Amino acid sequence: MMEQDQEKRDRNGSRVPYDEDNYTHNIRKDNERNLDRRSFLKTMAGAAGVFAISTLPWGAIAAKYLVNPSKRTYPVKKLAALDAMKAGDAIEFVYPGEHDTALLVRLSDQEFKAYHNACTHLKCPVFWSKEKDELVCPCHHGLFDVHTGKPTAGPPRRPLPEIELSIENGAVYATGVKRYEA
Amino acid sequence: MSFVLLLHIVFTQQVVNAFFYEQYGKVLVFAGLNVLMFPVALWIYRRERNVRDEGEG
Repeated sequence: MMEQDQEKRDRNGSRVPYDEDNYTHNIRKDNERNLDRRSFLKTMAGAAGVFAISTLPWGAIAAKYLVNPSKRTYPVKKLAALDAMKAGDAIEFVYPGEHDTALLVRLSDQEFKAYHNACTHLKCPVFWSKEKDELVCPCHHGLFDVHTGKPTAGPPRRPLPEIELSIENGAVYATGVKRYEA
Repeated sequence: MSFVLLLHIVFTQQVVNAFFYEQYGKVLVFAGLNVLMFPVALWIYRRERNVRDEGEG
């Protein structure tokens, strides 16, 4: 009898209000209202607003380009003298920026091809293989057709960006980067 | 509502993709869709809120 009148305490000293065996009294329900249906929906609506606003700058820049389609201008850069390369040779160069490495391949006497040599799979440098007659990415054995830049084997699925060339006064010049459409 | 948010994610991704490939018309379409989705989200939110208010009496 005496025992029942006394306030019951559990091992940690917390008060046990009822003599029950399902222990639901220690579940805190104070923060229950923080994640009710309405505030959840409010958060979702807010996130939707953030998404909507975040695309505005992209849209604005795109609209600017559409209204004023000024073609990007590239510098003209001398790559190599014609007599410095034999057919089947390749040289590496940077164009247009100093970190945009590229590869110039002389296919025949008058045929040159140049591509940015970052593999379209994981940006490994692509090399010219004279024996295979293809551009090779050694990382995962990706192969690219040297005439078109299109991938022919391995993981890459997109072509290499091509660089526009012109041959003047016995030398090869880079004049621009082809618009990348893939 | 979750579906609206999913569409937002998809459209934003498409905007960035189209921008990367310099397809600016596509960028505008998806950016416009993304902006239009916000009133839809707001409308769903209001509708849900009103339903709840009525329920509570």
